[in-house]
Formats: sequence, structure tokens, C-alpha cells
Amino acid sequence: MDRRAFMRCVGCTAAVAASQNTFLPRFLGGIQNAMAFDYADQLSSVEARYYKKREGGGVECGICPRHCYVTDLERGYCGVRENRGDIYYTLVYGLACSLNVDPIEKKPLYHFLPRTTALSMATAGCNVNCKFCQNWEISQVRPEQLNNLELPPRALVDICRQRNVPTIAYTYSEPVIFYEYMYDTAELGHKHDIRSVMITGGYIEEKPLADLLPHLDAVKVDLKAIREQYYKDVVDGELQPVLDRLVQIKESGVWLEIVYLVVPTLNDTDAEFRELAQWIKTNLGADTPVHFSRFFPQYLLKNLPPTPENTLQNAHDICQAEGLEFVYLGNLRGHQAESTYCPKCSKMLIGRRGYTIFEYNLDGNLCKFCGREIPGLF
Amino acid sequence: MSRVIVVRWAGGKADFGLDKATYGIMLEAALRALRQTADLDSVIGDMFPRGAIGIKTNCLTRKLNSTPVALADGLAEILTERGVDENNIVVWDRSNRELSEAGFLLNASFTGRRCLGTDTSGVGYSSRFFESGGVNSLVSEILTRTVEHSINLPVLKDHSLAGMSAGMKNMYGAIHNPNKYHGNNCSPYCAHVSNLAPIRSKHRMTILDAVRVQFNGGPGYMAQYIETYAGIIVSADPIACDRVGLEILEHMRKKYGLPTLENDGRPVKYLQPATELGLGESDLSKIELKVLSADQTGSVRDGELY
Repeated sequence: MDRRAFMRCVGCTAAVAASQNTFLPRFLGGIQNAMAFDYADQLSSVEARYYKKREGGGVECGICPRHCYVTDLERGYCGVRENRGDIYYTLVYGLACSLNVDPIEKKPLYHFLPRTTALSMATAGCNVNCKFCQNWEISQVRPEQLNNLELPPRALVDICRQRNVPTIAYTYSEPVIFYEYMYDTAELGHKHDIRSVMITGGYIEEKPLADLLPHLDAVKVDLKAIREQYYKDVVDGELQPVLDRLVQIKESGVWLEIVYLVVPTLNDTDAEFRELAQWIKTNLGADTPVHFSRFFPQYLLKNLPPTPENTLQNAHDICQAEGLEFVYLGNLRGHQAESTYCPKCSKMLIGRRGYTIFEYNLDGNLCKFCGREIPGLF
Repeated sequence: MSRVIVVRWAGGKADFGLDKATYGIMLEAALRALRQTADLDSVIGDMFPRGAIGIKTNCLTRKLNSTPVALADGLAEILTERGVDENNIVVWDRSNRELSEAGFLLNASFTGRRCLGTDTSGVGYSSRFFESGGVNSLVSEILTRTVEHSINLPVLKDHSLAGMSAGMKNMYGAIHNPNKYHGNNCSPYCAHVSNLAPIRSKHRMTILDAVRVQFNGGPGYMAQYIETYAGIIVSADPIACDRVGLEILEHMRKKYGLPTLENDGRPVKYLQPATELGLGESDLSKIELKVLSADQTGSVRDGELY
């Protein structure tokens, strides 16, 4: 059996495992146990999109605002796009390093098909380097440093159909860097009534996003801060392109939710929460759900404590006072702000504890008590 | 004062690379000059008192312009002839594929000279991060656990982003996330990668292969920009070695009418921050440069840098 045949078998096994509701381990391999793959065979060689050749050699990647200039045999910042003879390739097309069936609430998407699941997948790589990354073992490594499953778009869609999973979530790492894989899967999924949601940092160029949005049903953006300096110091990225993309997503009509990870001492002042709320209200609308998520020490920020509960409560209260209608707290199991309340009558519409829904008072998109329309896809 | 030895082959026939015996002659001359003694036994004994010796190659461009197998062979022979256990010599790079494609014979066994990539099963990267400046990386366990001493065996070439790829840039192959550190002409990242604790503390010597130098269009191979220099550059000081390499590279670019790396928008910026980190010396006036010329008769004379 050659390697490709072997990987196909592994892919089939993954499909079967998923279809039998046996969750695959989220991290299918660790770089501690990196295997000696035949690299050329192991990684994909699908030509990347949105790049241009530069006069005099090299290519310029146009998928994200970094615009990496990449010469022969080198890779972009993400580590998963490589120039070979001035043709730019994605090395992770059809190669998932993580696969799991998650509740949609885990993404978190609270206004999108609640009580359903999403086939959640990722490849190696990321176009930023957040010091708090909880998935750095896959996002901050190269694909050959992981064990990957060969799962082309068709296989992902088939798993969903076999298991009655209505949605595919591109998540865990940063789907922008496996754009081609995501795009083709989402496009194919729509042909089979499988929805697609992108869980992203939003650090993507306008054109690739515009082309992708018609194939997506929801986007959750990690807005990591409202200050450019934080993006520079903690994220190794830029704020403004993310803000621009948020507006673009909202204007497209694709469902949007925002997560803001509150990191003690770095992005947790009242002024920042207020600025965030005002920006969202002005640019995206007061009905855009915002999730404040609790930070736990990870990766390169192990020196900080978990976010105090009162800081999260403070963020919640400020945003509500500024007029945002759906403000949630995450990673804080049992808190009442995990649940959805009607902005008009204040009654509980969706009661949540962790990923469990214990109360549901929506009639379609309407509040069962006062008839107020609740935005989202229910 | 940092000492750098350049040995150039005067025996001709270097256009297609040199063989092991030739490299052996050049390396012996360089080591004697570097340590200023004719006694190679004591040179090897002093530099590598005990423990395994890692030889970090650069195998990015397959056999086209990677670390020559003959250079690694010649070096390994000098070491083994002076009592180093063959199995305590570990030729390595980041992946088995790259080593194989550059012509190296993989061997992760307990006999014979070892040759393996970091991606060998059971090897991998360190479980803890090493940090310097803005660099946070896992380091190959070949360096952190397997070897006590590190010899850097890079190739001198032009680099599209760093300006030059020589010894310090080669250590990008020892970390798990090199793609994160190519901004701003790889500076100060290149300096900080070399300053990561296992890399800095185990570095003993850089032997920069400059037999066939790609003076433009690198790091990928471009045959039209290859010039035969027929030399090796040897130093215990990683910065000084790169600094002399830069002189040679710029001289070639000038000879062929190319702009300086700075004027080409690719200044080699990382040498100064590396100096500030105390890794060595980048000021040519503080580098003791000795150029030798060797030939097949075994005679070694003073030579010229250009």
C-alpha cells in the first residue's frame, strides 16, 4: 500500500468514525512525535489563489494584508503556502490536522442554528501569532510537523451528509490560510445543503473575502482588541483591516458574531470596552452579538492570571449600557450572560449552561413572549 | 578580536564542487590556522572534549546548492581520525527529505555516523519554548538533547529577504516556526535565533561553504548567478564568519554589475543586533582575517580574499 492509499484509508476511517459519533481526537498528532513523512507526497500541491508573480522573480501573496513576498522554495508567514518555481502552492489543501463534531455553541455562534452541531476542521498554520493562542500546537507549526488526514472537500461534505451534521465549521487555526480548501468545501457543501461557517481572526484581504462570502452562512470574528498597538504587540497583525472586514461581512448579509478575548492588563480597560461597544453599534449595529471570552494562561502568556469574573461582568455591563443588545460572556460556565434575553421584554429566550441548552423560547425568529424579532438563523 | 580563516582551493576543478579529500585538506589548514597550532589532535580535543557533535547542514536546494556531502564527510573524517566516536557525529537538518535530496544517507541507528532530520520519528522539537527578543520558538531536540557541540555547516548565498544566507540564517532550520521571522530583512530575528539558549551555548564553529557561491537570486538555485570562489570560511565567531562572507558576496555582486544588497533593498541588517547581543564581532576592523591558499600537494600559503 503506498502512502496515498494509506492516507485515503485513514480518511475513510475518519469518516466512519465521525459517522458513528465517535469524536476523533482534536489534535491528531503532536510535533513531539513528528513522523518522517515523505514530504512531497504528504503535502498538497494545489496552486494557491490571489497571488501575483513579481517582476524579477518571487510571488506576492494576496490572501491577507501581509502580502508576503515569497521567493523560490520559501514560504509565507503562515507556513503553509510555498513558492516553487514562482508558482505559489497551498500545502494544506485537503489535509485536515484536526476534526471534530462540536456543538455550534462552541464556536461560539449563539444566533445560528442553536442546538445543532458542526463538523469542525482545521489545517496547520496561521497568519498571525497571538501570544495567547490556545491552539498553537496546530496554528503555529508547519503542516509537515503534524499528522494530517487526507480529507478533500468531498470527504468533508460526505461526513456531514452521512451523520446529518448540518454545518461545516472552519475553525481551530485560521481558515484564511487554507482559503482554497475552505472555499471549495463551502461551495460543494451548499450544493448538498450543508452550511459553512468561518471562525476567523478576520485578517483577510477584501477580494478573497468578497468571493468567499456567498458560500458562507455565518462568520465569527475574533476581534482581539480595539487598539492598534495590541494587534502589533500581542497579535503580530493589524487592527484596521479586521475592522474593515467586519463591516464588509455585515454589509454582505452573512450572519456575524464577534468574540473579544479579555486578557488581563492588556485589553481590559473600561475605555476599551466602551470604545468597542461604540464602534460596533455605529458600524455593525446594536444587534450584532458580542461574546466576551475569559482568558486562561496559554502559549506565550502563561505569566498572566485568568480573567477575573468581575472584569468580564464589567465589559458586559458597559456594552449593554452603550446599547448593544446581545452581549454574552464565555468560558464562564453557569453565568447568566451565557443565555440570550429578549431586548424588548427581557425574558430568557435561550437558556444555556456551557454548550447545553436548557430553555428555548423562540418561535422561529420571534420572542415567544412579546413577538420581538431576534436576528440570526434559528 | 575574532579570528576568521578563509581557505581557498588553488588546485582547480572546483566548478562542479570539491571532493572529500580536497575539503579535508582545506579544513585541516583552516583548523590549524584558527587555533594557531599544528597539532590537530589537541584542536579537536579542546573544541569537543566529550559528547556528541552536531553538524547542521543547509539542504534547502537539494543537490544544486546545499551543504556538500563531501564537506560533511571531510569534516567527519577529521573528527573520527582524532578519536571522536563515529556515532557521536550527527549530521542533521530539519527534515529527512531535504537531507536525502541533498545526497546525504540517512542513519538514525546506534552504529556509524548519524544523519537525521528533526522530523525523524521520536525526535521532534523541544517541549518548551526558548525566547530571545521577539523570537519564541521550539528548538530541534537534536540540538537540545542529542548533541553537546554544534558545528554550523551552511552555504554562502544571496537571500531574497535577509540579503545573505550564511551561518546565522542557517539556524532558522533549527526552530519550528522560521516562517514567522522573515520580516524586516530577517532582522533582528536572525540575531535572536542565534541567541536562543541551546543554539548559542552549543555553537563551537561555523564552516561556511563558499566553493560555488550564488551571488544573486537566492535562496533558490539559479545557475546563472553561480560563481566559483573555491573557498571555505571558518570561525568560532558566528557573526565574524558571516561578515566575511558578506564581503565576498558583495564583491561578486559588484563584479557582475549588480547593486549592493543595501541598494537592492535587502541590506544585511542582522549582524549589528547580533553584535549587540554579544554573539561576536561584525566590525571588520576588529576581525583578524587570515586568507590561505591550499592545493593538492598539501602546501598551504597565504592567499587573497578576492
